[in-house]
Amino acid sequence: MPISPKEIVSLIGLTSIVFLIAPIFLIRYVLLYNRKKKKHEEEKLAMVKTLETELLRTQMEVQEQTLKTIAYDLHDNIGQLLSLTTITLSSINLDDKVKTAEKIALVEDLTARSTKEVKALSRMLHSEELLSRGLFSAIEFELDWMKRSDRFTINFKKPKFESFTEDAGKETIMFRLFQEIINNIIQHSKATEIFVTLEQVESSLKLTIRDNGVGFDVDATLKRKTGMGLYNIKKRAAIINGTASIDSTRGAGSVITITVPY
Amino acid sequence: MGSVPLSKLFTLNTVAELICFLVALIFLYRDKSAAWRLLIVYLLLTFAAETTGLVIRKVFLSPNLPVYNTFVVVECFFTSYFFYTLFKPYGYSMKWLFGWLALFTVMYISELFYVQFADFVAVTASIMSIVFVLACMWFYYLKLTDERYEPLLQSAEFWWVSGALFFYFGSTACNIFFDYLKQNEVSTYNSSIRYIIFNVLNIILYSFWSFSSVCRYRQRKSFR
Repeated sequence: MPISPKEIVSLIGLTSIVFLIAPIFLIRYVLLYNRKKKKHEEEKLAMVKTLETELLRTQMEVQEQTLKTIAYDLHDNIGQLLSLTTITLSSINLDDKVKTAEKIALVEDLTARSTKEVKALSRMLHSEELLSRGLFSAIEFELDWMKRSDRFTINFKKPKFESFTEDAGKETIMFRLFQEIINNIIQHSKATEIFVTLEQVESSLKLTIRDNGVGFDVDATLKRKTGMGLYNIKKRAAIINGTASIDSTRGAGSVITITVPY
Repeated sequence: MGSVPLSKLFTLNTVAELICFLVALIFLYRDKSAAWRLLIVYLLLTFAAETTGLVIRKVFLSPNLPVYNTFVVVECFFTSYFFYTLFKPYGYSMKWLFGWLALFTVMYISELFYVQFADFVAVTASIMSIVFVLACMWFYYLKLTDERYEPLLQSAEFWWVSGALFFYFGSTACNIFFDYLKQNEVSTYNSSIRYIIFNVLNIILYSFWSFSSVCRYRQRKSFR
């Protein structure tokens, strides 16, 4: 059956209508995709903001931790040494020359030890500066400080390179993670031995902290309010695109591994 | 030569063109970009060509083909240059523009000689429409792949391209069947379907371009 000119013209009209509708959908898709791009950009901005906030909080926490350590040391070490010095000095009897000489020698020793402690504290005050020299030095310094208490046997294995990233913020967060884990061990684990290993695995830095303490139920702790510390460790590791794996069994110590890509 | 009232020269098309020209004149005359300032001249030429075409047909009762055949060249050169300025920030060089314009010139002259200056260069116009549709699509593609977010609803370039897409994509069917419609439509319908379609397309095009001029003005003001 031949098609009449009227039908063909109608068909052309209809085709034109379809050709007119098609751009509407195309423009709608472009606008929708653009809206998604905007949302994605906002999310990225929010992430940067979160990172900045978290970094600021971390820096404050590192400072707080330093001040706490200094306060404890002033009270427990230097304070004790100075009290002992005062007591020794006040007990000196100038008539008993032999004992006086012994006591003066003791006071001299106590003063020397106090000076040494003050010097160590002064170094501790510059721990932030230490962090700017490299994450590994900062960790080493912190562990050296712990060794002085003789409560723990510390094994530290560090890589040959000093720093793992140019991003100072990333290193600060990593250092704070280390501090939080060590604090947890000191407060809860009753461990006698701590193993700290820093190693380069492919293009990531792997920080492993193991202890021989009492261990804990990871899932139960994470569910409880007391698990906030562990939750923070996971959250902070995620902020620097890393992961935190927490593995522990009651009575068999615990292993926490932080893996952060370069 | 017949006399025709002035009101008959103001059709839906010419009014839409005149309004768009005035909007562009108000909002774009101080624009820093040559392409956008050229849009004012182009819209004036469009209005002038349309009115001249009407006068020739209704006053002088002669075929107005030479006007539209000449205007196609203006249309192609301006629209191509405008697209080039849109693609320039994405690293496209002048050779694309010159290459396309050279191809267009060859097609145009060949077709003019083929129809012996007695008919509209419909094939060239159809190919030009298809090229412009592709340019519009390519613009969208560049916008989608661009990682930077741009508020497209306030983008002058986006509205200009959208107007062009509606016009050139919508007119594809009419362009392809140009010869058929020329011979059959008058005998089929009281009012030419081509005329109705082009009226609708022109109104869409000039509405989008007018809004685009306003957006451009806002962009210029906000960047001050």
